[in-house]
Amino acid sequence: MRAAFAYEWVRIRTIRSTWWLTGLAVVFGVGISTLISWAIHHDFSTTGVTAGDLDGLAPAVVTQLAATGHVPSVACFILAILGIFAWGHEYRHGMIRASLTALNSRPALWTAKYVVIGAWVATVALLTMLLSGVVAGIFLHDWVTVFTAQTWGVIGRQVLYGVLLAWLAMAFTSVTRSQAFALVSIFLWPLLIETLIVVFFQFVPGLRDHDEIVRFLPFRAGSRMVDVLTASASTFGDPLSALGGTIVFGGLAVAVMVASYVLFGRRDA
Amino acid sequence: MATIAARGLGKSYGGKAAVADLSFDVQPGSVTGFLGPNGAGKSTTMRLMLGLDNGAGSTTYDGRPFSELRQPMRHVGALLEAKPFHPTRKARNHLRMLAAANGISLKRVDEVLELVGLTEVARAKPKGFSMGMGQRLGLAAALLGEPHTLILDEPANGLDPQGIQWMRLFLRSLAAEGRSIFVSSHLLSEMALMADHLVVIGKGRLIATGPVEEFVSGSGANAVIVRTPDASAFAELLVGRGAQVTPSEPGLLTVTGVALDAVGDLAFDHGIRLHELSAKVATLEEAFLERTAGAEEFQAHDTVGRSAS
Repeated sequence: MRAAFAYEWVRIRTIRSTWWLTGLAVVFGVGISTLISWAIHHDFSTTGVTAGDLDGLAPAVVTQLAATGHVPSVACFILAILGIFAWGHEYRHGMIRASLTALNSRPALWTAKYVVIGAWVATVALLTMLLSGVVAGIFLHDWVTVFTAQTWGVIGRQVLYGVLLAWLAMAFTSVTRSQAFALVSIFLWPLLIETLIVVFFQFVPGLRDHDEIVRFLPFRAGSRMVDVLTASASTFGDPLSALGGTIVFGGLAVAVMVASYVLFGRRDA
Repeated sequence: MATIAARGLGKSYGGKAAVADLSFDVQPGSVTGFLGPNGAGKSTTMRLMLGLDNGAGSTTYDGRPFSELRQPMRHVGALLEAKPFHPTRKARNHLRMLAAANGISLKRVDEVLELVGLTEVARAKPKGFSMGMGQRLGLAAALLGEPHTLILDEPANGLDPQGIQWMRLFLRSLAAEGRSIFVSSHLLSEMALMADHLVVIGKGRLIATGPVEEFVSGSGANAVIVRTPDASAFAELLVGRGAQVTPSEPGLLTVTGVALDAVGDLAFDHGIRLHELSAKVATLEEAFLERTAGAEEFQAHDTVGRSAS
């Protein structure tokens, strides 16, 4: 197992895409938080603040508005590409055979990939949010305390979301063995497919009466993990609680990971 | 040093057997050539040997399957792809990565780069590498753990003549150190110079295995060439001794089925004057084509013959 970790640790650090994706995630994440903080600072300074303006403000800024429940985390989606490349490069460039002659244990290689990517994504996501929090503190210290218990909770759940998203992307790439297909799917699914399903349930007669089930759409559920603006009555109520969202989104990630593990063991390299 | 023992290897795609009940040994201290027409199942066999493909049978290296080897690159080095690396990961980093998985030092990484002549491009991205440079990097990876066994699929592909000669001498020197070298190639003339033993397959099945000399000597292309002014009389005598005689041109006989010495003695005994008595030794290519006739997965049409007719 140590050999597999050593292999993956060198692998992830010796490819340029790791560094530009990491840099992009940090720059986009902190950049967006900076812009939002600056705009809010300007707004509060000129028009004043009402009590409602401060609800969930710090978590929203730190997560680049993901904590509003309306926007997916840009940084996490960028980092998920690392997961796609972790398997995609193996198949696209025929590396998988070299990997499996250097490491003759498929379970070890599979595990090391998920652990190393998970750790990398968690570290970068955390760093991005901490820097975003520092920037938010600089602009907004007159009105809010950024690093409260609520913010730390959201940061923790956002890190978990980022890791689950990266693992889901990895597992999907491993199952399809197509980097391009996985790249397209991981963005189209939440941005287009789930949106279309929600619209169908809102406007198509017959479906409209059951529109509460759209809360179980995986990415919609995933957004509930960090949403601080909408309260939930129970774990699987409408809307889902943070725990309910974690179970649904995490459940999908785990299900695809199990498929990935089984197929990786059975398929020819 | 390891003996490779492949037993009952088999693999089917869509119900069609790519490799069927294939068994052979590769002995230490030798280069064993792996020959077969395109689509015969050579690459599939090599992948099966390394546990990369799921199929029937087993392969052991000194009695242990590949999956049970600790730090496998220290036991078996493999080159299976033309360019088995990421195009933008620097050559040295590619080897560093493989070395990390097998507890191999960075010093050894630099040694193998030097060994295959890639030191100058060690920090270059292989996307600009020629096929030959890619093969050298793949060979460097195979040699990284100083393994006792090498499994190489078409390692000479893309190499220039100097590179091919270097590869041959290099593999021969590794075999001389007692290592087991199992190598496939389409370059039969090269294989004739390099290999001690052969494993020949066609349509996934074993056709022949054994020393190269034995394989070639069994070819029907081996013959005795006789030039004599008494060709028809001597042909009759030879046929009487069980030989097959083919008159090639007036006064020239191609004789098979009787040894050269016996042909000479027969001529002497019957007072037949000979102008030429020589052995025509079959080439590996002739022996290979003869033994694999009809075993090609893909057959080209004879466009020359067709246009002429």
